[in-house]
Amino acid sequence: MTATAPAASSPLLEVSGVTKRYPGVLAVDDVSLSLEAGQIVGLVGKNGAGKSTLIKIIAGAEHADEGHLRLNGESLELHRPHDATDAGLAFVHQDLQDVGDLSVAENVMMGLGYPRKMGLFVDWAELYRRAADPMVRLEADIDPREPVGELSVAKQRLVMIARGLAQQAQLLVLDEPSASLTDEEIEHLFAVVRRLRDDGITVVYVSHRLEEIFELTERVIVMRNGQLVADEPTASLNRSSLISHITGHEHAQTATERRASRRVGGRPDTEVVLDVDGVSADTGVHDCSFDVREGEILGLGGLMGSGRTEMVRAVFGADHRREGSVRVHGQEIRDNHPAESMAAGLALLPEDRKTQGNIMDFSVRNNITLASLDRHRVRPRVPAPLPRSEKQAADRRIGRLSIATPHDRQLVRLLSGGNQQKVVIAKWLEQGSDVLIFDEPTIGVDVDGKEEIYDIMEELAAEGKAVVFISSEFSELVGVCHRVLVLSEGRIIGELEGDEVTEPAIVEICYSQH
Amino acid sequence: MSLDVLGFISTYGVFITLVACIVIFAVLDSRFIEIDNLRTQLGLAAPLLMLSLGLTVVLAMGDFDLSIAGTLSACAAAIVVLIVNHDWPWGLAVLVGVAFGLGIGAINGLLVSYVEMPSFITTLATFLILLGVEYMISDGRNITGAADMPDLYRDLGIGKPEPWTEFTSPVWIAAGLAIILWLLMAKTELGRYMYAIGGNPEAARLSGINVKALRALGFVIVGFAAVIAAVSQTARTASSIPRVGISLLLSAYAAAFLGAAASRKGLFNVPGTVLGVIFLQAVQSGLTILGYDRDILDISRGSILVLAMLLTALGARRR
Repeated sequence: MTATAPAASSPLLEVSGVTKRYPGVLAVDDVSLSLEAGQIVGLVGKNGAGKSTLIKIIAGAEHADEGHLRLNGESLELHRPHDATDAGLAFVHQDLQDVGDLSVAENVMMGLGYPRKMGLFVDWAELYRRAADPMVRLEADIDPREPVGELSVAKQRLVMIARGLAQQAQLLVLDEPSASLTDEEIEHLFAVVRRLRDDGITVVYVSHRLEEIFELTERVIVMRNGQLVADEPTASLNRSSLISHITGHEHAQTATERRASRRVGGRPDTEVVLDVDGVSADTGVHDCSFDVREGEILGLGGLMGSGRTEMVRAVFGADHRREGSVRVHGQEIRDNHPAESMAAGLALLPEDRKTQGNIMDFSVRNNITLASLDRHRVRPRVPAPLPRSEKQAADRRIGRLSIATPHDRQLVRLLSGGNQQKVVIAKWLEQGSDVLIFDEPTIGVDVDGKEEIYDIMEELAAEGKAVVFISSEFSELVGVCHRVLVLSEGRIIGELEGDEVTEPAIVEICYSQH
Repeated sequence: MSLDVLGFISTYGVFITLVACIVIFAVLDSRFIEIDNLRTQLGLAAPLLMLSLGLTVVLAMGDFDLSIAGTLSACAAAIVVLIVNHDWPWGLAVLVGVAFGLGIGAINGLLVSYVEMPSFITTLATFLILLGVEYMISDGRNITGAADMPDLYRDLGIGKPEPWTEFTSPVWIAAGLAIILWLLMAKTELGRYMYAIGGNPEAARLSGINVKALRALGFVIVGFAAVIAAVSQTARTASSIPRVGISLLLSAYAAAFLGAAASRKGLFNVPGTVLGVIFLQAVQSGLTILGYDRDILDISRGSILVLAMLLTALGARRR
């Protein structure tokens, strides 16, 4: 499958026989590939498939144990990250690596030195002029004087791309660049990537969102268990064949098939657990009312920035609720504070597991029991946790959610993204709330991991819990939700139930107001 | 193999440096390891230990408290003035001091945790105010009055509650405080929540932890610790020395950071702080016995702090 076509002239980047071992893991296993100038290449694979390690090796942040790299036919020796930059390779990581307090211009020109006046003073005018150049190429309407920290995530990513252009990059690697971007911003990003391709720059686009891979790329490289398992023109693949390459399983279900096979119907005819009435908040939430029944999975659809996260935060009391009432089992939650909501049986699994979900320097065990510590007391009235009891609970969750961790004492920081997400889920399952709100639980999680998270939600519903599921991938909502509410600009603008829940129907409501 | 040695050194860097210091001092002058010196040094270190222990709680939650030096100084002056110049019963004077310390802690906690002011600059401000208050009380003078102090009060500083070890009361009080705070931080739900706040306050809040109340409680605890340090100090010397807290402030931070460096996870912790205080006191005692002056003492303490941190940093980079 690893077809390295013999080219007349030497390719831009040639990776041959690269292997990288970590203790106990073969992270990259004899990978060879070659990239031509002016291509958009998708790089996909599950978490832990070896994508990140391969990128780190190309970036000079990790050293390959075997194999070598060639750039334009010449051997490429990378000893430190700076070498890769000098060679014309640029990387935009998912976690933004810009300096928030510095201006856009300084970030764009970072590493190239400041232009000088009289050999001493920084020539700011010249700096802004030079930085404006790549910004114009990107058609980015950004003031080079503005501090980067003030920009939206989308614009910050553009600044990082502009930095690559300023460094005369020939190869640009974008790692999950569309995360937390609105649809409009994603369109602009795509336009930028295509223009760079037309200028002869090669773009490697890493994403878990397969729709984007199909829309944007010309060629797809798939990694699985450290190996390169497919390297094919995008046009020769379809969604299901790509998923089979990624997972190694024969057949991949579409959302509609999943919905049919799981017999996901309309909402169950049970008692209302969560009743939200007329909730408004200063974060842009206007008069939202809905309820969720026992055993129901309610989806919240909408475009990025439609106010779904803000609405559930106001319901949970993470943000101040200006108006409206929230009832759980008919009991009104008066104080809007997370602790009160939890006591009433409400749980919010926040969008960003790094900044809101986990204590990254706590062990897996201590994260899992954090919200239910009072159930592990040495004696009922002594508020001291019993480690043995905590360990039992943690081990049980690690087993049931198949969290990949060597032991329950491992720091959460050291787990992969999908497993960190499972630790957040484990914490709230332990806490035992009746209503669980999952805010984008599958972001950055690979195909198998996503499937596991759907299973968890379905199990919870089967146990009689009420589940609220926010996702920007509408196919996910179609696959599992009994009912879907669509939000726009902080208001609920549509509702679909049972057979009405289809991707086109959700999309249509989303755009009905534009 | 050589990597393992480096790993060992980095994990136990602080211990190794401490043991090395003790061995060197003992070899150079055997007076260093005599039981009398041990008693004296522990007695001298007790107020610093109390202060450092309180500080550990605040640091573990990611806050700073600089005002403790002011609380300690002002309380020391107030208690001595009330007992010596105004003939107050010592119990009442101590009670006033405790109320004062808790009050300052509550104000700091309110400003930092509820009004959301940055802890460093807020407690710097209360520190300055308290130094002014101390000056008002003491007029900037040493107040001594061994003769006017009741024996019971002096016992809090120089009394020997049991005949076997003959450690003075402050050693036992500090040990008691260490055990209580160790239980709090390492063994209770509150302690777990405090470390969670130090790790990620937003995740802690969304997990239902009352972040504001616990952060405020930290400032109250360190305020209380500063007061009992003031009591031990004034009872031992039978006097209040202006700005006594300032010299202790930097040592308290040094001890707490040494303790964090000694812990595997780099967290502020009670046993580590105890180790840090012992470390600083051992170096001070050893160098004093060897006849070095203040200048060498300060340079050595600073250098050892750097060395301990360096070993830990090497370990962190390897991990």
